[in-house]
Amino acid sequence: MNAVEVNQLRRIYRAQIGVFNRSIKEVVAVDEISFDVKQGELFGLLGPNGAGKTTTVKMLTTLLIPSLGSASVAGFDVVKQANEVRKRIGFIFGGERGLYWRLSGDDNLRYFASLYGVDPDISKKRIPYLMELVGLKGRGNERVGGYSRGMKQRLHVARTLLHDPDILFLDEPTIGLDPVGAREFRAVILDLQAQKKTILLTTHYMFEADALSDRIAIINKGRVIALDTPGGLKQHVSDLSVVEVETFGAPDSTLEKLRSLPFIDSLSVEDREQKQMLLVQTKRGAEAVPDVMAALDGQRIGRVIVREPTLEDAYVRLVGGQS
Amino acid sequence: MNYANLFRYWRTVLTVAEMSIRTQFSDSFILFAIVFQPMIIAILALFMLREKGGDYAMFVVVGSGLTGLWSSLLFVSGNSINSERWTGTLESLVGVPTPFDVIVFGKNLANVFQSLLSMVTSYTLAAFLFGYSLSFTQPLLFMVTLWFSMFAFICFGLTIAPVFVMYRSVQQWQNAMEFPVYILGGFLFPIAMLPGWATPISYLLPPYWAAQALHGTSTAMMPFEQILFCWGMMIVFSVVDLIIASQLFKVMLYKARVEATLDVD
Repeated sequence: MNAVEVNQLRRIYRAQIGVFNRSIKEVVAVDEISFDVKQGELFGLLGPNGAGKTTTVKMLTTLLIPSLGSASVAGFDVVKQANEVRKRIGFIFGGERGLYWRLSGDDNLRYFASLYGVDPDISKKRIPYLMELVGLKGRGNERVGGYSRGMKQRLHVARTLLHDPDILFLDEPTIGLDPVGAREFRAVILDLQAQKKTILLTTHYMFEADALSDRIAIINKGRVIALDTPGGLKQHVSDLSVVEVETFGAPDSTLEKLRSLPFIDSLSVEDREQKQMLLVQTKRGAEAVPDVMAALDGQRIGRVIVREPTLEDAYVRLVGGQS
Repeated sequence: MNYANLFRYWRTVLTVAEMSIRTQFSDSFILFAIVFQPMIIAILALFMLREKGGDYAMFVVVGSGLTGLWSSLLFVSGNSINSERWTGTLESLVGVPTPFDVIVFGKNLANVFQSLLSMVTSYTLAAFLFGYSLSFTQPLLFMVTLWFSMFAFICFGLTIAPVFVMYRSVQQWQNAMEFPVYILGGFLFPIAMLPGWATPISYLLPPYWAAQALHGTSTAMMPFEQILFCWGMMIVFSVVDLIIASQLFKVMLYKARVEATLDVD
């Protein structure tokens, strides 16, 4: 039996618009997606903002009712047997919300342990163990309002493990964390993976998904557009090289000119303060560099690197191709 | 539901109540609702009716305490659900295996328990500021009535909470729900002063039976049969409220999950 089975799941949001001429606007957030997560697997769900990742997780954690389709978690239907699902899962939604800031870290855990039906004798032992596991040993008596963002995120992990669930849903758990905090957090996730927990992780940090996931589904505009291992996804761009060009204020007209060159498969631009990083995907590799430089003639150029494609490049190609 | 579950739920109710009190005691609005507002009502009533003597002072003490009880239930319980929505904890509460009505029962228990402070405040004011010599006419029966009343108020509050789960905007109607219950419940003056058509409405409100019995055991020698009748009415209404609330919670939580109103996103 798979830990998670998703079958043609669809979710539509309806919003009322207008004051006098009221009408209902429908937005399809998740559009008939299907996938399975095996027991003990770390399954990544990747996609841009608004792709439908959080909506999918909320349906699987019983917090939203699907408009169509079905899903089961630990063999239980997420709508008809919601309470059975809730006993077996833990979930985290990224960010600082979802905790009681006026209570201490220990009291937050004691509260949720009670809500998850954990015996008080067990929770007395489990809370200090979990606080140590997530690196908050000795901070349990402090109010959560005084915790840093990273500490709150780690407290979320402790909260979600209180009842020792088999399946974890982590929705962008490292969002907003500093690099050290994010690295520590990933170490905790790897530790959970070693304990054979099934984990569904959503993120838009490619290296995170690459480093942690057994398999990844890329979701865009509510649809699964690719599902494979990180290595398998990279095969989508195995014929390509990436030319990275650092520029300073290249205008849109120049970028359009570059984009129109026939040997360029795709071009994405990352703004980095004063600089822009142009990521040119091409089958010509280093041979493309002189033509790229010619197209950028007159622009101030910094570093130029030619490298092998990464998961991020595969993602850009797959998602870019959908745009 | 088996006994093991009942015991577990009761333990959860106590933990929820404890955590709610810890969270709310640092909130100045809650202190206003349970201490300052009843204090103001008590001062005004005691000033206006000071010639009426000690019995009436006790009536005011109990009555203003009841206003605190109702205000706390209406505002604090309602606001706490909206505040949970804003802080992102409402989803966490709905996503646990403990039924949501058990959680709200614990929250209401905390609110009702801490609102007893209103009664203590009014008693202190009447005794020390106005110099009344206050004593309960039937102290033991008053204490038993107080427990019945707390239970009746908690169950009555449970019927209101599901609406707050579903509708974010219901907060705007809270003020409109506050004073009618003060008046129809007979908290500060007898309902005999109201027009006849209002009496049946009062009879349908559990706070009315609580007010009757609390006033009757604190300021008058209410016959035991009448006290028993009030207790009986409170039990009947509590059971009816529990049944209605459990159905309402099922419907409203399902609707909230369909319409995505558990979070503010």
